[in-house]
Amino acid sequence: MSDFEPKVVAFVCNWCTYAGADLTGTSRIKYASNVKIIRFPCTGRIDFMLLLKAFANGADGIIVSGCHPNDCHYTSGNFHAKRRWIMFKELMDFMGIDMNRITFSWVSAAEGAKWADVVNATVTRIRELGPYVSYKEMVDKSVEEEVKNG
Amino acid sequence: MARIGVFVCHCGENISATVDCGKVADTIGKLKHVAYSTEYKYMCSDPGQTLIKDAIREHKLTGVVVSACSPRMHEPTFRKACAEGGLNPFLCEMANLREHCSWVHEKNELTTEKAIDIIRTQVEKVKLNSALQPIRVPVTKTSMVIGGGIAGIQAALDIANCGHKVVMVERSPSIGGHMSQLSETFPTLDCSQCILTPRMVEVAQHPNITLYTYAEVESVEGFIGNFKVKIRKKAKSLDEKACTGCGLCTTKCPQKKIPNEFEQGMGMRPAIYVPFPQAVPNRPVIDKEHCTYYIKGKCKVCEIVCPTKAIRFDQPDEILDLEIGAIVVSTGFDIKHADFFPEYGYGKYKDVIDGLQFERLASASGPTAGAILRPSDGQVPKNIVFIACAGSRDPAKGIAYCSKICCMYTAKHAMLYKHKVHEGNAHVFYMDIRSGGKNYDEFVRRAIEEDYVNYIRGRVSTVYERDGKLIVKGVDTLLGAQPVEIVADMVVLATAGVANPGAEELAQKLHVSYDSHKFFAEAHPKLKPVETNTAGIFLAGACQNPKDIPDSVSQASGAAVKVAALFSQNGLTREPLVAFVNRTAPPMYSTCVGCFLCQSVCPYQAIEREDFKTRDGKIIKTVAKINEGLCQGCGTCVALCRSKSIDLYGYSNNQVYAEVVALLNEF
Amino acid sequence: MDNLVKRAKELLENKTVQVVIGYEAGPTGVIRPAFITDPEKAGKLIYNDKCDQNLAVYLTKKEVKNFGKMAIVATLPVMRSIMMLISEQQLFAESIVVLGISADGNLLDIADINIMQGYIEKSDLSNPEKYKALLAELNKLNPEEKFAYWQKELSKCIKCYACRQACPMCYCTRCTVEVNQPQWIPVQANTHGNMEWHILRAMHLAGRCISCGECGRACPVGIPCHLLTMQLTDQVYTYFKVYAGTSDKMNSVLSTFEPNDKESFII
Repeated sequence: MSDFEPKVVAFVCNWCTYAGADLTGTSRIKYASNVKIIRFPCTGRIDFMLLLKAFANGADGIIVSGCHPNDCHYTSGNFHAKRRWIMFKELMDFMGIDMNRITFSWVSAAEGAKWADVVNATVTRIRELGPYVSYKEMVDKSVEEEVKNG
Repeated sequence: MARIGVFVCHCGENISATVDCGKVADTIGKLKHVAYSTEYKYMCSDPGQTLIKDAIREHKLTGVVVSACSPRMHEPTFRKACAEGGLNPFLCEMANLREHCSWVHEKNELTTEKAIDIIRTQVEKVKLNSALQPIRVPVTKTSMVIGGGIAGIQAALDIANCGHKVVMVERSPSIGGHMSQLSETFPTLDCSQCILTPRMVEVAQHPNITLYTYAEVESVEGFIGNFKVKIRKKAKSLDEKACTGCGLCTTKCPQKKIPNEFEQGMGMRPAIYVPFPQAVPNRPVIDKEHCTYYIKGKCKVCEIVCPTKAIRFDQPDEILDLEIGAIVVSTGFDIKHADFFPEYGYGKYKDVIDGLQFERLASASGPTAGAILRPSDGQVPKNIVFIACAGSRDPAKGIAYCSKICCMYTAKHAMLYKHKVHEGNAHVFYMDIRSGGKNYDEFVRRAIEEDYVNYIRGRVSTVYERDGKLIVKGVDTLLGAQPVEIVADMVVLATAGVANPGAEELAQKLHVSYDSHKFFAEAHPKLKPVETNTAGIFLAGACQNPKDIPDSVSQASGAAVKVAALFSQNGLTREPLVAFVNRTAPPMYSTCVGCFLCQSVCPYQAIEREDFKTRDGKIIKTVAKINEGLCQGCGTCVALCRSKSIDLYGYSNNQVYAEVVALLNEF
Repeated sequence: MDNLVKRAKELLENKTVQVVIGYEAGPTGVIRPAFITDPEKAGKLIYNDKCDQNLAVYLTKKEVKNFGKMAIVATLPVMRSIMMLISEQQLFAESIVVLGISADGNLLDIADINIMQGYIEKSDLSNPEKYKALLAELNKLNPEEKFAYWQKELSKCIKCYACRQACPMCYCTRCTVEVNQPQWIPVQANTHGNMEWHILRAMHLAGRCISCGECGRACPVGIPCHLLTMQLTDQVYTYFKVYAGTSDKMNSVLSTFEPNDKESFII
């Protein structure tokens, strides 16, 4: 597994984590290049289906990050997101979908170093877990099923 | 058919040092729908921007991806450049190659590959962008100022002097607020009323200001530039046009034993009254709770004596409907009273008073005409103790914050006492002296050095009565926590400043946030101290947190400028990155099923109901509708909507879905 | 159930309602929903422990609403569905009469929404016992076993959407599965797409499911899809101490929040 380069997608809000990741850059703190960021206005905008789509399209890990509670640019989007992720996580756990592959975090615009830590910790963990084989197999099998069924 | 242009910036060497920009531009150039791909050393420079503008025309581009620094840095720059090049600015996206790639990774293949992935994702997104036009919202150029204390007065005068209409709503019968109750003001010891009352009169006479006293805000609907406000004008039982303010009724009223609110209960007033001699407007109101006629059905002495027959016992409350463009909240503060302090006798000792009561004692127009006399027996106190931080900075009492004004007014009180009772002794118990401000610390030093006020650093544990004297027990921490006992004639508590009663209810009517102490919350603690989280509603004065007069006045002028800036244009222009609910042909009208769960997630009350009706007015369907003037584009409703009937310009379902797919797949 | 028949007949005769939604025995004895509009036919109405379909699903159907004011035979899950439908503005309290049925099968006197609320609040609102046992079994499995179990079960799904049609809370006129811009859920039935559909359905019912189990009963291929929503019903109670369908003014769990909501996985 030494040459395994995990694909990690980060879903972040514009005002805190995206700005925090900008600060990581301005501070020239290095982190793993496996993570690629998609910008949302707010964590409240992040549809849980997008996380499933990331796994379906070959992501091995996911980061979801936004403003700390009480810091939301829109005052409450992150609180709604928190409830959504609580439910989502419980459902995923119940169905055996690997929640160790998703990092949920609050990273503020001032926490450039924390962003690097979150990314590096996630990438290290996903490296240890290896590619998300069981999910990929299900997706591949499903493509075959479709071909078979015409 | 999309024709996307990609512009890869080297940012000097900031990007090109770790990312192979040439390879990136080449690879991206081969993507489907990418009509033009190039690299340049400084995209944000004039030649760089010209490169983009020329390419838009030359290659008939339908979208642009500038691959450079963070969009938080230069998105406005490049959107403007695109607009100048003839492309709708919202068809331009940025790929963040600098902060999110070149600066955080080493120079290698993976870094270059990541740069390609980032750009490809933005190319897929921009293909799905829509050309958007800024939203124009009309503005009603009338403002409302809630609360007629010094902050409200300042804000109203500033706005009115800019040429805009102001409606001032004051809950009590007169404007003036707490400042009108003060004797002298720190750090100059000038008379409070002398500087305030001209301003009060100016408000009443200003052609641009409409003053409603004895009135309260009933409800507020709408949004910035377009608020619909209902005001309840409480019945004064008086025809204000007929009344000349002669005051005969107030002298003849047989009911004279009502504690006077203006005197902080240290004097009495009749049931028909003017709160204080310099009140604006100087017209009486009848206090229905105490008026003999309203209680027992007979009396009417005021009606009989009134020379102009202005009394109207059957006057109803009046509800006014106003169209308002901006609101300044300046409802002020209240203080904790002595009954909040069990350790100081729960207010049962008549000679333990609060700071505002002391102001009235010291005031030339107060119940003692300015003589410092004990409330219990009218004697001049020979020994007086001032206790600072009564309640403030005391988490055990639920008030962890510093009330900010008490250190200064306590020094002032001690000075005023010494100026009036030359042989008396003034003692001040304090935790810290917080006297930051122009000429403030000098003022406190004057109290100590010139007026010989005895400052003791320590807290008072208890006050109790013994032989008609008040025994104040405390410690002096500067003498190693040595117990101190002072036999006092009078004790003045510098009690904590707290939110006004009703602040919470008003905040809910206005849809603005408030903190755990019920003070109104600013939009940002540092950079938006005057704004609230509701656009078009601003804060001034101590309704936000305890403040002294200069701070309140400064903030009021700040709020006034915000209002004037809003009114300086004929309409508001907003970024069109807002949510929308889809519309379809009848009989469906929208795929929205009208569950309105989105209404409760929206932090801005931006989701309204829209009825579709038959010709005879029967409702066929009610669906959600986004108010573009209110929506800030957070998209929480979009992710919640089960039928996917809401979407968000700039971050549409199609766009974010395409981004996820593009980020993970090479094509 | 003479009382039920008598009351239904009365309501139709004095034109308080235009239709009574209840249960009847079909020609082969199978219990099926009945829509009685003629007072003379009220005698067809029955109630016994085999009457387990959640009839509330019909309250939002245009064909039924067109009759006029509706009376509905309502066991606890139906009453809770009614509360949800009113709170989500799909139904007006004035447009229905509730013929409440107690846990032991007797007609209740439910004069208005407040009385119904009182009855619901007194009842056990957790998942029915038989499902609790199944949930406990599944929760004992390790993640790999869970994933294998659900893959096996969901591979059977033929995307007929009977689970959705049977659910009173799935009243949307357009479902996410019918959206093709973007195509959130693949059209074809395959394990992965089926799983995405069932996750979507469970998430959309989080905090809204009233544990009737109708989706599972409706499934023609026997997928226990009701366990997904019921698991979340348990979790909603664990985290937020609420059960769905207890009041006509209730806020949905996922459209509200408390600043001190507790979780342990966000770093």
